[in-house]
Amino acid sequence: MEHELLNGLSAPEVDQILGLGTRITVPSGGSLFRLGDPADRIFLTVRGRIRLTLPMQLRGREEEILIEEKSPGQTVGWSALIPPHRFTLSARAPLETEVIALPREALRAYFETSPAIAYKISLNLAILVGHRLQLVQAMWLREMRRTIELRSAAAGPAR
Amino acid sequence: MEMLLMGLCISVFGFGVAALAFGAATRSESSAPQLEAQPEIRPAVAARAAAPARFFSDRVVPAVPFHSQVPIEVLLHQIENHVRLEEAAAQSFVDFPSLDLLHCKTTSSLVN
Repeated sequence: MEHELLNGLSAPEVDQILGLGTRITVPSGGSLFRLGDPADRIFLTVRGRIRLTLPMQLRGREEEILIEEKSPGQTVGWSALIPPHRFTLSARAPLETEVIALPREALRAYFETSPAIAYKISLNLAILVGHRLQLVQAMWLREMRRTIELRSAAAGPAR
Repeated sequence: MEMLLMGLCISVFGFGVAALAFGAATRSESSAPQLEAQPEIRPAVAARAAAPARFFSDRVVPAVPFHSQVPIEVLLHQIENHVRLEEAAAQSFVDFPSLDLLHCKTTSSLVN
């Protein structure tokens, strides 16, 4: 299996990184982390699926709204590598899911001894974050346009 | 020969009258809206052709009253579907950046 966070690494390098982690099986419906939790591990999805959600008030009830869904090979929880190291979303498995949890401290120690690998992983992380930023920018602009159209329609035709 | 020429003249005259009538009938529909639509910017069509189009819809569906008492589960499903469609639309824009793709409509029942 190829992990997006480990793109460009050789097979032995990938094995070394994965050796730092622990395999975790999240049962169907189980929680991987919650919004605001300390983020001390980053997760590589191996099997199943992870839903990333944010809470929203709907008719007086707090509901978890889907923001993103992660499939095998994708990375979850990059807040572990970026200060202030708090999860900004909640993660839940809609079906039995397997992830590899990589502790931040173990990664940091490994990066100090292997700066070339640290550079490659940092680059992959920047690609993930940058891509997400581009998506959210576009989604935000689309919603803003709709809001303005709704307001214009409510205000009636311009004179 | 005279009959042939007369028939030809009548045909040409009839065609001319028909063309004038057609022009008069369609002028009022086409000229005014074109003036209003002129400022619209038309981005590259190639990007749209290359991008997946299955998430988009040109049709405008009558809006579902948002305050109607649809069950919360249905509303949550609509929101989730909307998020997925919006993300797919944003992904298409990121893959092939153009004004057209940035503001393309989706089939989301939440906003149509």
